Amino acid sequence: MGKPITPMKPRVSQYGVAPEFVTKRMAEYPEMTSVMLKDLFADTPEVIYPSEKGLDAVREAAEKALANVDMSMIKPGDSVNVCASHHGFTLLGGEPYALLLKTVRDIIAERTGTDNIRLRAGVGLRFRETEEYIKAFGLDKHYKGRAKGVAPVDEGIPIETEIGTLYGIKAIYDADWIVHVHNSDVREVHFHRQVDRAVKPFGMSYARIETRSTYHQNLGPRAANFTARAIFGSEFVQNKFAFAAFLDMSPAGVVGVDADNDLLALNDRLTVNGCKYYGKIITLFGEIDECIAGLDFPCPVPYVFAAGVIYCNFAGANVDLFDLDNPLPPYTWYTEAFYGKNGRPLVGDVPVVNPAIKMVVHNYAWGGYPSAFFSSHVPTIVVGREQADLINRDPQNIEYVKHSVIADDLDSAMEFAYKTAKTDKVIIFDGAVGGLNVSESLAQLLIEKAPQVNKRVDVELMPKWLKQRGIDPATVK
Amino acid sequence: MRLVNMLAQVDAEKCTGCKTCVKVCPTLAIQIVDRKAVIDSEKCRSCNNCQQRCPVYAITMVKREKPFKVYVDPATEDRTKIDELCAKAKFNPEQIICYCTETRAEEIAAAILKGYDTPEKISLHTGVRTGCKVECIQPVLRLLEAAGITPERPDGWQWYGRTPTVWDIPEDVKAKYSKRGFYFDNDIELLNKVAQTKKSGKEDN
Ligand code: SF4
Ligand code: SF4
Repeated sequence: MGKPITPMKPRVSQYGVAPEFVTKRMAEYPEMTSVMLKDLFADTPEVIYPSEKGLDAVREAAEKALANVDMSMIKPGDSVNVCASHHGFTLLGGEPYALLLKTVRDIIAERTGTDNIRLRAGVGLRFRETEEYIKAFGLDKHYKGRAKGVAPVDEGIPIETEIGTLYGIKAIYDADWIVHVHNSDVREVHFHRQVDRAVKPFGMSYARIETRSTYHQNLGPRAANFTARAIFGSEFVQNKFAFAAFLDMSPAGVVGVDADNDLLALNDRLTVNGCKYYGKIITLFGEIDECIAGLDFPCPVPYVFAAGVIYCNFAGANVDLFDLDNPLPPYTWYTEAFYGKNGRPLVGDVPVVNPAIKMVVHNYAWGGYPSAFFSSHVPTIVVGREQADLINRDPQNIEYVKHSVIADDLDSAMEFAYKTAKTDKVIIFDGAVGGLNVSESLAQLLIEKAPQVNKRVDVELMPKWLKQRGIDPATVK
Repeated sequence: MRLVNMLAQVDAEKCTGCKTCVKVCPTLAIQIVDRKAVIDSEKCRSCNNCQQRCPVYAITMVKREKPFKVYVDPATEDRTKIDELCAKAKFNPEQIICYCTETRAEEIAAAILKGYDTPEKISLHTGVRTGCKVECIQPVLRLLEAAGITPERPDGWQWYGRTPTVWDIPEDVKAKYSKRGFYFDNDIELLNKVAQTKKSGKEDN
């Protein structure tokens, strides 16, 4: 246990309150401490970032990984779209991903002689979010004015796939070649279930609304990510796809950069690493018996991070999200859809939202993602009238504050939470790097439970998870 | 149910008449008049699409003085017909098909029975497709198809077409990928079970 880790700074964004309204962070309380991932799990991988070398380590790793990639198909004068997604910018402050995007551009220009290289950055449900990142990280300048954010409501293009017609965003594909620059952070395991995770943006941030709706409404909770595979496997995309470059992530930071002309080979490598690196911490979160959860990070409610795990996966940590024998996570859109008018599930397969979460203190988290499910299932206190007003104006969250109480400030929210939730265990989703900020009482529980979780994942769960994904555990080191 | 509490407002000085907003508005509330965008406040459902896509930031969202709700009450239409439409589209009538507005399949079925025969009219009267603007187009198209309606596409980017469902996936495709972690048949089983289960019984409110 150590001093709390500095939380990720609030960000200026149209989707959250202005940083000046975030007057106090949850990690500032004297009862808070931090636990490092290395102290929980000895096999936590070494990271290149954050490290003493700083961002240079990311550039070096990117250059090394890209050296092995074939770019000979790109001829001088060819147009290239470097495709990015908002998610990468939410990792470790966003600089490592922005630098990877800059390095990819530099190396394509140097090796192929073309200068017609554009950045096309897709989004989740906040249509100007990557526009904000493009400006904040100087990507427009680096891409010589050819950088733009694209949204799923922009002009589309039909793509013929093995299962029928799906639709992509036209601006993603309006070049001779596309380069897929992403990261291996597991993040939405409740959606993709760590199946073809590396391919997901083809069915999501690069896709039109028709395709994204197919993913979340037409296919089902364990077939959903096939939408992405179907698009990626189409002749149309295969004819344009040049290569992929990924930040290889662990909950502790950037492990390296992986690049390949074969996205599916890269996907297999990342599937194993994702199960291993994230499987342990998510399983450990499932051991928490009771707590107050603090949301304190510049992202929408489900996407705030603690130890590399997003809050909505903590809301589902009472179920093994990697185990494909479990049809529905406690939170995913199919699950949300299956609650009837009386507030009870329509079928018995719907697991309850993690009962360990006794109360949520929403100190700082954005709108721009339908989040009423969370405030209607877990008692929630929103800190600050400005924040509540902002959420009430958000078309995706008309009902969120209705299910919450509002506190004037963090002190009164915490006082109320301790009294009402009757627990002194607190977990803070504030993006602390290398570990997580928690109350001392919760730190003790995590340290106590980690060894048996470690063993269970290595011996019992990892082999099962890999087999379910068609990977022979014997081939994995 | 959708509470409409905001309204899009155009700054005519900034507007270039590019029509982007017209092409993304889910309720067709925008027209170009004398090369400027004009918003019909009666039809705006405060979805933010135009404000989020205008290339010159000419649109702002302002608070409505009189917020109102849009909702089609399923109790006002024939229950058997609602249930039949939902079953044909493979939805449970109580299944939520729009997460932002908590709209259930039965409300869309009722809207269709009232004669709202395009996604645009359905959005105007129920508020679906005016929250995230992304996830609920397929259920709307599936329910229209179940009613035998092929809506005409508006002259914009509002939507392109109905896409495949898990029931449409060819057997050879399933066989090729099911060992890689895609559980197609199990998902079909689950979705069928949801669609066929009886309602929770709570009265409409
Ligand atoms: S998108 Fe903006 S500039 Fe274009 S017509 Fe609409 S308001 Fe005018
Ligand atoms: S419904 Fe949406 S896109 Fe249409 S005018 Fe209103 S805010 Fe703009």
